[in-house]
Amino acid sequence: MSSGKMSNGGLKTPKADPAPRRMPSATPPAKTNGAPAPSAERAHASYRYFLCPASKSSAPNGAGGDASLERPASSLTEVVAAIGRCHGGAEPSVKRLAGYDRIEICATSLPGVAPTAGRKPRYAFVVDPLGTSDGRGVGSDHAPWPDVDTALAGIRKLSEQGALTLAPGEHLRLSVREVFSATPVDRRKRLKERVAQTIFLAMTVALVVPLVVILTHLVAKAWPVLTPSFVFENPKNNMTAGGVWAPLIGTFYLVFISLAVAAPIGILAGVYLNEYARDNWFTRIVNLAVVNLAGVPSIVHALFGVGAFVMFAGMGESVLAASCTLAVMTLPVIISSTKEALASVPMSFREACWNMGASRWQTIRTIVLPNSISGILTGVILQVSRAAGETAPILFTGAAYFVNVPNKGLGYFFPYALDKSCMALSYHLHVVLTQVKGASPAQIAAGTGIPLEQLQYGTAVVLIGLVLAVNSVSIGLRMYLRSHKKW
Amino acid sequence: MGAVGIDIERLTVHYDGKTALRDVSLTIPPNQIFGIIGPANSGKTTLLKCINRTVDFVPSARVEGLVRVGGQDVRQMSNVFELRRRIGMVFPLPVGLPLTVYDNVAYGPRMAGVRNRGELDGLVEKCLRQAALWDEVKDRLNLLGTKLSGGQQQRLTLARALSLRPDILCLDEFSIAVDPVTTMKIEEVLLELREHMTIVLVTNLVQQARRLAQSTAFLNDSRLVEVGETKQMFTKPAQQMTYDYVTGNIG
Repeated sequence: MSSGKMSNGGLKTPKADPAPRRMPSATPPAKTNGAPAPSAERAHASYRYFLCPASKSSAPNGAGGDASLERPASSLTEVVAAIGRCHGGAEPSVKRLAGYDRIEICATSLPGVAPTAGRKPRYAFVVDPLGTSDGRGVGSDHAPWPDVDTALAGIRKLSEQGALTLAPGEHLRLSVREVFSATPVDRRKRLKERVAQTIFLAMTVALVVPLVVILTHLVAKAWPVLTPSFVFENPKNNMTAGGVWAPLIGTFYLVFISLAVAAPIGILAGVYLNEYARDNWFTRIVNLAVVNLAGVPSIVHALFGVGAFVMFAGMGESVLAASCTLAVMTLPVIISSTKEALASVPMSFREACWNMGASRWQTIRTIVLPNSISGILTGVILQVSRAAGETAPILFTGAAYFVNVPNKGLGYFFPYALDKSCMALSYHLHVVLTQVKGASPAQIAAGTGIPLEQLQYGTAVVLIGLVLAVNSVSIGLRMYLRSHKKW
Repeated sequence: MGAVGIDIERLTVHYDGKTALRDVSLTIPPNQIFGIIGPANSGKTTLLKCINRTVDFVPSARVEGLVRVGGQDVRQMSNVFELRRRIGMVFPLPVGLPLTVYDNVAYGPRMAGVRNRGELDGLVEKCLRQAALWDEVKDRLNLLGTKLSGGQQQRLTLARALSLRPDILCLDEFSIAVDPVTTMKIEEVLLELREHMTIVLVTNLVQQARRLAQSTAFLNDSRLVEVGETKQMFTKPAQQMTYDYVTGNIG
């Protein structure tokens, strides 16, 4: 059907696509992951043909229009014929289309007036020479047409069926796909990937922001009092001067005694539950109790402590009672973290030992515990920071408003008796926030008092510093032991 | 203690509603290599676990029937650890314990109370030699067993199984993770070991059973299909299914 007389088709615009619109994010060659990036070597051709339903006159002989802007075709069939003369067939003279090339059929209301078309085509069809639709293509992404001739026949057929109507300003796009070119599915996938990553990153940043803000705020407010003497001096002059040594030591007392109680019980119970217990109703009830106990609010633990330790066990408000209350609070978490750590030791190790005639206890002692101790310790240490930070459980069980403690000698380091109440950092913070009046301006001016606000922030910084330090030790320990993991 | 035989009578094992072994009766004579072949899930491993009673560690398992090792009912034995010490086990996936190579091999004897360093040294070397591993690890006995390659770990497992000088050695598809050359070396060792112990060889490689075993049992779908002399099993078995399996027509 083509002949030598053929005009060379519409607007000759084999122009380089400035920003390859067809593949918005896909083209940068560095990102194609090994796939060839033809777009970088070859300019894409984009051919535009025009359709003007109101311009019968511009195509005088009915069949000869070239569908250029000046002489637009009057029907889609004519445009298709013009395109076929230009790009179709096997003639060497015709302009072959290659990857990323495209043809656009634009509808316009007046000949010679380029429509201000939107970027998004009304219809989009795809030609894929390597497509797998076996000639049954319909031009879609998933079933592309195999070549331009088939595509043109398909478009003509669709337009004859009345399925294609282009209003002025709209256009139809026929694009040629290349090997490894991104399909719309790929592009959507990439977009979603990017959105997901951004959201996750944003949430991570949002997580860090409060911590950073709190820390900076606290440290900035407390800066003037943050000297070694603030940490190592006892509070004095009705808490208008001095430091936080006595409450700090009290917190150490509470934490160590509570862990001395909770860690052995928790670890051994965890070992039993994970290594010995069979799956029966008793084990299930214990496990359920552990989970629920971990969720009990700390103020409820406080009431339990008052009833059980202060009153029933006769400990009175004392270091011991407060420590036991904290121990009850930390116990369930120690049990769960121990169980988890033990469960991370592969079952096959145990079976290998049993097969050699080792008893359960021998297996636990030689293989299971040495390889889970890092996880167990991490769980315990994390409970240190929890015990150090909680106020409620010690409030009624053994925390004192003020204890007059020695300023030197052994009593400086061990100021409290176990059956008497003690000061604690978390409760001390509560006290300086709500109970004390603070130093008078005269005292501050004389240098014998610390402004109340600085005292408050200073105490908070020491408390949060203690917690962070303990957590860092835990993280460091975990990292160290992980790097020495034995399998 | 010399090699002992194993008698299995009407052994049935259920796991949580699934039957792993159904009414299996077998006699494994002493000083033999006894091959057990059969497709996956046919109950071969469960059979081994019943012999050394590690099936006890599977909470859902229900065992019926009798297993006698050296004439004694294993379920009546009060000292199950002694039973397990006398039965060396090698399972398909290599398990290097997170200990040094030396400690891996010395683990069993130590758990059994051997403390003498000289005795342990000799034992470790002997077992590693038997497992065809000594030449590769003799200079790095302090390396972690888990850092060895898969094939080496499997031979380490074998050395560990031999470390207690067992009367019975159960091998459950030991050659899966081992290269063919090493497999041949180990097979030679097995033929030597036969003089001192009874060897139960569970294998997926039908030809391995043919090479090594004097008698072979064929399990399929948790039932014992046939048991007999290896030569007969591979040439003119009584059951059509056995013939199909050993000739490769099924499975």
